[in-house]
Amino acid sequence: MYVGQPIRRREDFRFLTGRGTFVDDVQLTQPILHAAFVRSPHAHARIKAIRTDAARKMPGVHTVLTGADWLKAGYGEAEGVWPVNDRSGKPARTVNRPFICVDNMVRCVGEIVAMVVADDRHQALDACEAIEVDYEALPANVVTAKALDKGTPLVHPKFGTNEVLESYHGNPEVVEAGFKKAHHITKLEVPTNRVTASPIEPRAYMGHYDVMNDRYTVWTTAQAPHIVRQYFTKSLRIDEHKLRVIAPDVGGGFGMKLYHYPEEPLALWGAIVTEHPVKWTGTRSECLMGDTHARDHYTVGEMAFDKDGKILAMRFKTLAAFGAYESQWQASITNAYHFTMLSLAYDIPGIFTEVKGVYTNCTPVDAYRGAGRPETVYQVERLIENGAKEMGMDPFVLREKNAIRPEKIPYTTAIGITYDSGDPPELFRKMRVLAKYDALREEQKKLHAQGICMGIGICGFFDMAGAGPVKMMNDLGAKIGCYDVASVRVHPSGKVTVFAGSHSHGQAHATTWTQIAADRLGIDIEEIDLVEGDTDRVPFGIGTWGSRSLSTAGMAVVAACDRVIEKAKKLAAHMLECAPSDLVIENGQFIVKGTDKKIAFAEVTNAAYHSGDRPKGLEIGLEETAFYDPTDCTYPSAVHLCVVIVDPETGRVTLRDYFAVDDVGRVINPMVFEGQVHGGCAQGIGQALMEECAYDPSSGQYLSGTFMDYAIPHSTDIPSFGIESHTTLTPSNPLGAKGGGESGTIGAPACIANGVIDAIWHLGVRQISQPMTPKKIWHALQSAKAGR
Amino acid sequence: MYAFNYHRPSSIAEAVKLLKASSDGRCLAGGMSLIPTMKHRLASAADLIDLNGIRELAFIRREGDALVIGALARHVEIADSADVKKSIPALAALAASVGDPQVRNRGTFCGSLCFADPAADCPAGLVGLNGTVITDKRRIAADKFFNGLYETTLEKGEIVTGVSFPIPEKAGWAKFANLASRFAIAAVMVAKTGGGVRVAVTGAKASVFRVPEMEAALAKNFSAAALDGIKISPDGMNNDLHGDPDYRAHLVSVMAKRAVQAATA
Amino acid sequence: MANAKISLTINGRAVSAEVDTRTLLVHFIREHVKLTGTHVGCDTTQCGACTVHVNGTRIKSCTMFACQLEGAQVTTIEGLAKGKQLHPMQEAFREHHGLQCGYCTPGMVMSAIGIAERYKGKALTEDIVRHELEGNLCRCTGYHNIVRAVIAGAKAMSAG
Repeated sequence: MYVGQPIRRREDFRFLTGRGTFVDDVQLTQPILHAAFVRSPHAHARIKAIRTDAARKMPGVHTVLTGADWLKAGYGEAEGVWPVNDRSGKPARTVNRPFICVDNMVRCVGEIVAMVVADDRHQALDACEAIEVDYEALPANVVTAKALDKGTPLVHPKFGTNEVLESYHGNPEVVEAGFKKAHHITKLEVPTNRVTASPIEPRAYMGHYDVMNDRYTVWTTAQAPHIVRQYFTKSLRIDEHKLRVIAPDVGGGFGMKLYHYPEEPLALWGAIVTEHPVKWTGTRSECLMGDTHARDHYTVGEMAFDKDGKILAMRFKTLAAFGAYESQWQASITNAYHFTMLSLAYDIPGIFTEVKGVYTNCTPVDAYRGAGRPETVYQVERLIENGAKEMGMDPFVLREKNAIRPEKIPYTTAIGITYDSGDPPELFRKMRVLAKYDALREEQKKLHAQGICMGIGICGFFDMAGAGPVKMMNDLGAKIGCYDVASVRVHPSGKVTVFAGSHSHGQAHATTWTQIAADRLGIDIEEIDLVEGDTDRVPFGIGTWGSRSLSTAGMAVVAACDRVIEKAKKLAAHMLECAPSDLVIENGQFIVKGTDKKIAFAEVTNAAYHSGDRPKGLEIGLEETAFYDPTDCTYPSAVHLCVVIVDPETGRVTLRDYFAVDDVGRVINPMVFEGQVHGGCAQGIGQALMEECAYDPSSGQYLSGTFMDYAIPHSTDIPSFGIESHTTLTPSNPLGAKGGGESGTIGAPACIANGVIDAIWHLGVRQISQPMTPKKIWHALQSAKAGR
Repeated sequence: MYAFNYHRPSSIAEAVKLLKASSDGRCLAGGMSLIPTMKHRLASAADLIDLNGIRELAFIRREGDALVIGALARHVEIADSADVKKSIPALAALAASVGDPQVRNRGTFCGSLCFADPAADCPAGLVGLNGTVITDKRRIAADKFFNGLYETTLEKGEIVTGVSFPIPEKAGWAKFANLASRFAIAAVMVAKTGGGVRVAVTGAKASVFRVPEMEAALAKNFSAAALDGIKISPDGMNNDLHGDPDYRAHLVSVMAKRAVQAATA
Repeated sequence: MANAKISLTINGRAVSAEVDTRTLLVHFIREHVKLTGTHVGCDTTQCGACTVHVNGTRIKSCTMFACQLEGAQVTTIEGLAKGKQLHPMQEAFREHHGLQCGYCTPGMVMSAIGIAERYKGKALTEDIVRHELEGNLCRCTGYHNIVRAVIAGAKAMSAG
């Protein structure tokens, strides 16, 4: 059995030797031209003139293109795959993110105004500098909390409001009743900071138009190449059969590389115009500004407890920033992923939430690892933590008291989502042991007595992973079918190529998908290869995001392998003169049960193609495709715990320990899974302590334009992790596997925030917004000291 | 990046000649500040004069009562140097706190002085330790070298060849780094010498500055406790994402105390 | 535009070229020599994805000009393995799952070898490794397995 083993990764050799092929590494025989962009330096401005004549005459320049040219070409917009669905019945106010400014208005810093295509990057940038744009700067709205206030500048005045949509969820009557009989009510402002995924590989695109064959090719840093191809039918209006989209090795995506970014169609447009391949590779500054940002929720919440600490009800109001435009998947966060998981790991009778999407003059917001759930867990867990403290109860015990009992699972939350498997009390029990919780509280007492501000942070939650099923996701607003696909092509030699509609950009599919296939086919893993990321080779797949690949594409691999075996067994049975049901597969052989009669897998596969002696009606060949539509999402769960030390003199947080106990059902490769938890936690820690896409509230200027100001965790910011698993299988797929990609980013922000507050609660601090930077912590301590 | 002509002289004299001949020449040592700035098109030069070929600039040595560091001494060499660790361990500590290991392998103390970044560590080292900048034609006292944000008193065509430090009785370095850039939000070099006490702060204002009240207090009693009650005014402190003036003013006090503790440890 | 002629050695192979003086070492390696294992992840000399060894020292190749490299010996990630035989540090990264997307990996491995060489004969602790990795950013692994890989790789290098 390969499944369940920490098989070393089969993709590592090429990455470790520098032989990975990322978009910027792709070599072509023709010279590749470089695209560069003129971008708005203003958060909000009217363009009065664009002068490109000087740039066109610069050395090496092939073309200069603007929005006027785009309109002239008759190109289209980036339509959402998850369009806004305003549940109040009012029409949603959607404005798609433009590829290039076409209406002489720029609405966020970095918006593209013109493109230069030149022989090399220096020439392209020189020419960009020679383009003159006259801007009339306008007042900007960059503060989410104030987006709907009277007098706030409107991003799209035609709507008369900055509100995109409004929605309500939950059981308000139960909530009302809960608050009425509450023994204690905790109320907090719980905003979630605007961050960005920042994979180390910047986004990059190369477009090529083959005039002779009327075929287009795009190399892209994308997580879902078929979705990219579909976007192109709307943007450059290219028919799908004419376009090949290749997402080669991609250096981290985290949800951020799912979208049809402006530079993607623009690079191909440049190639069409110049009849040369055209490439754009983002600089970090361009990416920090232009990659979709994430989170940015302004939320106020309250929680009602009974006298024993049992949570009776909670209610929230959220303003969810969309940025200046609606990015293609953003509505999925407000309409599918955020509110649905509000119950976390707790049995909470009453939940009500009101969410309003709002436009601001900022970079568009979209999904980033966790998409909506980090906000959810943070807002609920902060209330639990403060509630426990205010009531004088141990926060761990209060959580255990509210944890959903295993006998209540399947458990339908007050929001209406049903958790199909899990055992939260067991996760808490394992965490108590793993972290030595009781000893930590003892140690904390001693350290506080010495003036050392040690804190313990805790959180527990369920995640909704593995989108679809198709129908369920359609009902939540998805226009794309959330299935996935795999083809298993068995070659005459018995070697196998698996083609999957998922895309690995760090998730190790070349290892884990072949682990699954090897077990299913009964052959050596080395005899199987995986192909992903090429629309000319792989059937239409939905790609990798939302911790979905294993429970969709992975299960498609299972289904396709099972079909292959079913067919191969018919042929083997014919060759061995037995019934297919008499056969078992072991070590690359079909064996007649209870006999020594057997035939090699390769002999059967050869016969499948080359033998005329086969059972009547059995088609030639051995290749099967399965489109797999799961029966449900998966509901992984986890409990996290951290230990922090806050330096009260400087406000600096040192993260001493970080523990996670996860239930992701069947684990294909525990080494790979733990790596996912480590990386997710590090990103969540970054969000909690240092990451922020910041805008100057008065000028609207973007302040986090390089890694000099946007802080992602360094090696010294992160501790070693203590990871444990507890396994309950989901009934929703044949392997019982649940998505494991997002637990870290979902849990860590809440966990760290609770830890920091726990460390300085005794000094009077009750809440600090994230990121909890040294500056903010120090100010919070000063305010507490002054009794403010 | 803007185009430039590249020159690689092998002697100081040749470098000076090249620099003087250029309408817009700049020296390049480690390049850890200059090259990123050029990449962002925030700096340019018609002629870039690369000092890395001038072997005589690559040294760290004791010269009598002074420690002298050549213009090509890398941060890592300063951090690792037995001479530095023995004579001015605080300087080794400063060098070890610059940037990151790859940056320290390439960047130079003198190059950092010439760039005069308000958040760089080395200017506080120069001023706090009362060093002297040595150029191809003169010696410039620490207090006369910086001239505000990214500005020095170097003349056109003048090349820094090294820096000389008197050996302090005690010195200490404390840095509070920006989580993103790892530059100082506030960092302090404190030194006690025969000539008195110096407290030099970087990262907090447009340029490195001394804190006379602290120097006076420490001259009487060289201990962290001597700094209790000295309030640093937030006036003129930098205000950015990572620190506002009040916070920076407070950090100056904390870092000064920690620097004194490091000096007396 | 100004050009400069250079001759240097990359992974033991002599390379001569005439380049725009603005050409950064990393672009020279990637675009002129076509060794695309060395990556670019930022523009502020922070991420370390471009780390290579110049004359035996780990540096960030995005912050040197190619024209500065006359006569230099440069080693890139492509210069480590001998055929299918991985360098002990590469092997340690594989064994300890010290990579996910693989983008920061070449710079990370080059930096790790630099650490092993700097601390040759001394015991590497987690604390030392974390401080010595400050010039390399990884967004996938949370550094946990990288730290283990560096310690194991350094041990294997000193044993080899």
